[in-house]
Amino acid sequence: MNPQISTDERLARIRLNAFLYFRADWLARLLDIFGSAQEILKQDAQTLAREANLNPSTATNLLKEAFSINPQEEWDKTEKLGGHIYLPEDEEYPQALRNCKEAPVAIYVLGNLPSDEQACVGLVGTRKITPYGRRVATKLAGDLAQAGVVVISGLARGIDSECHAACVRAQKPTVGVIGTGIGRCYPPENRTLEKAILEHGGAILSELPFNKPPNAFHFPRRNRLIAALSQPVVVLEGEIKSGALITAKLALEQGKDVLAVPGPIDSPQSAGPNSLLTQGAGVVTCVADILEYIPQAQRFGLDTRFFEHTAQTPAKPEEELSSREQQVMHVIADGQLSLDQIALAIEADVPEAAELLFNLEVKGFLACENGLYSKNKF
Amino acid sequence: MLANATAATIKGIEGFAVSVEVDIASGLPNLAVVGLPDAEVKESKERVTAAIRNSGFDFPLKRITVNLGPAELRKSGTQFDLPIALGILAASEQLSAIARDKIKDLLVLGELALDGSLRPCAGVLPMLISCKHLGKTAVIPPANALEGQISSAPFITPHTLRELTDYLEEKIPPSTVQLAYIPATEQDPETLLDFNEVKGQSLAKRALEIAAAGGHNVLMIGLPGTGKSMLAKRFPGILPPLTEEESLEITKIYSICNLLGKSRLLTTRPFRDPHHTISNVALIGGGSTPKPGEVSLAHNGVLFLDEFAEFSRSALEVLREPLENGQVTISRAKETVSYPARFTLVAAMNPCPCGNLGNPLKPCTCSPMQVNRYKNRISGPLLDRIDLTVNLNPVKFTDWKQEKEGESSAQIRERVLAAREIQKKRFAGTTTTANAFMTPAQIKQFCHLPPGADTILETAMRRFGLSARSLDKILKTARTIADLEGKEAIETKHLVEVMQYRPLDRKGVADL
Repeated sequence: MNPQISTDERLARIRLNAFLYFRADWLARLLDIFGSAQEILKQDAQTLAREANLNPSTATNLLKEAFSINPQEEWDKTEKLGGHIYLPEDEEYPQALRNCKEAPVAIYVLGNLPSDEQACVGLVGTRKITPYGRRVATKLAGDLAQAGVVVISGLARGIDSECHAACVRAQKPTVGVIGTGIGRCYPPENRTLEKAILEHGGAILSELPFNKPPNAFHFPRRNRLIAALSQPVVVLEGEIKSGALITAKLALEQGKDVLAVPGPIDSPQSAGPNSLLTQGAGVVTCVADILEYIPQAQRFGLDTRFFEHTAQTPAKPEEELSSREQQVMHVIADGQLSLDQIALAIEADVPEAAELLFNLEVKGFLACENGLYSKNKF
Repeated sequence: MLANATAATIKGIEGFAVSVEVDIASGLPNLAVVGLPDAEVKESKERVTAAIRNSGFDFPLKRITVNLGPAELRKSGTQFDLPIALGILAASEQLSAIARDKIKDLLVLGELALDGSLRPCAGVLPMLISCKHLGKTAVIPPANALEGQISSAPFITPHTLRELTDYLEEKIPPSTVQLAYIPATEQDPETLLDFNEVKGQSLAKRALEIAAAGGHNVLMIGLPGTGKSMLAKRFPGILPPLTEEESLEITKIYSICNLLGKSRLLTTRPFRDPHHTISNVALIGGGSTPKPGEVSLAHNGVLFLDEFAEFSRSALEVLREPLENGQVTISRAKETVSYPARFTLVAAMNPCPCGNLGNPLKPCTCSPMQVNRYKNRISGPLLDRIDLTVNLNPVKFTDWKQEKEGESSAQIRERVLAAREIQKKRFAGTTTTANAFMTPAQIKQFCHLPPGADTILETAMRRFGLSARSLDKILKTARTIADLEGKEAIETKHLVEVMQYRPLDRKGVADL
């Protein structure tokens, strides 16, 4: 915490931060003009509009929003959760965000943010995850975490959750940048995941007021923070019009490297990354492809083994399986099949097929969703 | 003067004898019915007045009091018309002493039309059965004759009020009011549908076989057109046949609801498929004069709830009591009645609101949140009472062609019967009828885990997020699968198979 900032100024900044309807750099401009947040909030709407050349209604809204929250309460609630509210002047405020054009006026943080020297990679993707996406997310996020990289993602359903979960399983820190206030959990089923992230030294970050509920326009805003914190940003899966591609665009605007994981050309969820690839994004086929883009300054302490490109042919873990189990894996291949189809193909009855599938699922070779089995191991 | 006849009324699914006392005194002409009569009993005044007049008798223009006793029992139904009319005729001495004497030995039931002819009324069968011990001859409308035969109580079926009085006065031969025994009409050539008509879906078929064998409830989740309803409709065909006691129970319920129609004793298991807009009361029973609901009409049979998630939340929650206890207790300010409701629940739902989740050909247009919300409409406590959940996926044409004709219902039923036989022996002397209804003590006694099963269960609980509560379900179902194979002990493969029928995954949550 920067001791030069008075408590009153902090609280005034928290108030100012509650105004979400224009870009954060405009708030920074206002701060430049008036010198401090306290000074801004002392003005009436007309003065504000005149001095800063704002639309009068925007100025009115700004003051209205700013006074609609109770900054002391925000502060206390955050502290009660064990979190902090940082301003750009604080040393805890990440340098990567300070450098960003639209740096948030204040950020709410639970847990520990990675240091500025720490390698951070953004993994983003769709909420409508496919089995392929799940495999890739688990593999890449797991490997990155093992290599010592902090994975940044959005703690949403689908790809985001899988990435965070893989880091948690590796017992490594990861950062979730969320599109609600930190007092909320969205989606609610990720509450345990959120807790696990904090337990393993990760962090939850948000620029929104403590109790802000999810709202569609929060998420693209949130994406710019993911882009800002990461280098490079990797798109795993996403449709052409998706949050993941917004993140990619924002990352490019911020001068970050954007990488994409190629996918089947007939899968709508891979249309996004494939289109990025045609535009010249870096191709990701293994974790080393990502690590290459990490700036030299942040490579210290990373596990060098992961920098080596593994053999292009993927390992065949199936070799340890029984011949019947291998048959099942062969039948499933890259598709999603129901027990009926598998049983028919390998000429088994229901009890036998059930047993084979159970064993394969428990061993982690298969995943089952809505009664359809697909490959789970990379 | 005073006259007395015996009638009956229904409470729950039992009949109770009601004494109909008629007193005629001088005074202003009036007809009062007392003794907790319901609306339809109060209305009988008007029908009785007209029927007496139109049968060639005089309606006494005096002060008439009709008392229905015992006074604390609510009387409902239209069967009181005939006993009241007969009582008035006897009390006004329009019947001879011989006839009046005979009334004492009669149990009189019947609704009157204004011309004095007899119309059928509801609940005749349970009333006759409950009043058999009184040793009275029943008078019932001809349309209810089949129920008389089922009850095996002595009965006569006059067509009109006049015919009844003529019979009592011995003016006509008794044969006119005694119906010749109606020979048992051939049961409808079983229009039961057969399982071999369903191609593919072997997992769902297997789940239904297990459900039939152990009395378990089933939830089928699948895309539209994958055969959920088709399978459900064939489910009664693999259930064991009704015992005599069971068929009497359901015939009584159908009699009360006036749904018996022309059928005799019901010998096929009922299959009820109410629409998802059904109200709570129609589903479990109730009303100001309580009537059995769909769950009781499905007693000893199958309750099929298609579009399970579209039922109102409260309608689904009221299902919990019958699923747990096999009966529903309806408590109203005026009375409390219980109806039996031990049925097998077969529920079917789509995987998501648009119905295309997991469809390889059509993309699902639902957001992940919508899908979750849809799945969450089925509450945890309700899911806990459903032992088997099975996903149905579309059958590809190539598979459909390749698939050989499946087993017939008769073949499946044979295995079900064998499994039921084992259970009958196991539960001899207890009230448990099938594996699904085992008490915790019985589970402990009969479901021993095979060696090495602990690890399987532990893995399953961790990986599939199964609760400790669902362990009982797993054990019960595994017991049934072992019974189907005729195995004494539960084996590992039985347990493993049960995992295929694990509940709806509410995942979307990454495992940690």
